[in-house]
Amino acid sequence: MQVPLLTRIANGDTGAVDECIDRYGGLVWSLARRLSSSLADAEDAVQEVFVDLWKNADRYRGEIAGEPTFVAMLARRRLIDRLRKSGRQLESRPIDELALQHAAPLQTSPVELAEEVAQAAACLERLRKDERKVLELSIYHGLPQTRIANQTGLALGTVKTIARRGLLQLRVCMQVRNQRRSNEVEVV
Amino acid sequence: MSRHSNPETNRWEEIQVTRLLFGLTEEEKTEYDRLASRIPVEELEQLDQVVASLDVIWADMQTEQLPEHLRRAIRIRASQELAAKPVVSLANPSTFPAKALRGKKYLPWFVSALCLMFAVFTWINNRPAEIVRPDVAQRRAELLTANQGLVQARWSPGPTPSEGATGDVVWSASQQQGFMRFRGLPVNTPSQEQYQLWIFARNQSDTTPIDGGVFDITSTEEVVIPINAKLYVQDAYMFAVTIEKPGGVVVSSRERLPLLAKVE
Repeated sequence: MQVPLLTRIANGDTGAVDECIDRYGGLVWSLARRLSSSLADAEDAVQEVFVDLWKNADRYRGEIAGEPTFVAMLARRRLIDRLRKSGRQLESRPIDELALQHAAPLQTSPVELAEEVAQAAACLERLRKDERKVLELSIYHGLPQTRIANQTGLALGTVKTIARRGLLQLRVCMQVRNQRRSNEVEVV
Repeated sequence: MSRHSNPETNRWEEIQVTRLLFGLTEEEKTEYDRLASRIPVEELEQLDQVVASLDVIWADMQTEQLPEHLRRAIRIRASQELAAKPVVSLANPSTFPAKALRGKKYLPWFVSALCLMFAVFTWINNRPAEIVRPDVAQRRAELLTANQGLVQARWSPGPTPSEGATGDVVWSASQQQGFMRFRGLPVNTPSQEQYQLWIFARNQSDTTPIDGGVFDITSTEEVVIPINAKLYVQDAYMFAVTIEKPGGVVVSSRERLPLLAKVE
């Protein structure tokens, strides 16, 4: 079994750094562009996220989450924190306003996804239309509640309620699927 | 806290969603930490993982390639970070709880240790800046001797000048390090205000210069201070010193800007 990149980095294998940048650079950059108020901010943020990644590489546990998920968790945390600290909101324009015109975000092909993320993709298909829409606008497009409310015609409080309901549904669905998978493995 | 629906569980879920999607205010952060302390470790990051999975699904990694100059910058930062001793993570402490700290019996020890660490950290941070310590001066001299991609600029008065302050700044693009030299810059009281350096570079917009570190002046004699750039600096063209609240700021209002150094 291959040793995860982050484990190698935590063990001082600097050779894994380039591989890590190659593998996750696009993911972090994609998130930074969506969750930053300018391109310059996004560039700063990407560097900060990778610094966080080097510092927290030893905290990665493969049995809890896949590597891409861990990277995305760290990146989102840093990006949201930056937005808050700078006192800016994405009220004006996200960098990629054009993306808002897409009916839905482009989805990474299932064959490229790690198993746990593929599970999440399957669960996403089972969400109600309004739940998926609100999650797309907040997670993918990085819009604040007010803009989601304007975009969807929903009341401000309803936006958060729907987002929460959608995430909880996903959590339950993913847990059920993981449980099933564990049982299948045990049977085999 | 159980998963059964009750006001506290509802609030915990609500505040997690807010944290993950929109960010928390300071008050909400305090509340989040309070609620998180009652959640089993294995449940703490479940929603984080759900959101992160969606991030991965929707990240169009094939078309969103990382720009080459950023790749280079990240590589340089990695070599600096991984060569250095482990440092305290910048990640939100609320989110990687240590199991060992959850037992109440360890709390007094933990708090005492934290207080001690804080006292040592504060003392180290607020120690008087030594007047041209040989090692710093020597390192500056070595940097000048190496003369690799070196830029040098003299301090000149900024919009809110400090009478009689002079000196210069040297920066090596290839080594990503440099030093500031001051004479006659007023002594500051670290508990009230600190100086902060900003580096204007080609890879940054003017509105978001690179944080070059917070520092104190304890003597009006000549002082040499190492630059602590928080990001990769590409073609530095100007340096500015501002006066900020203790600990510095992420974005400066530039209301108090005593010194500027433009690279000719």
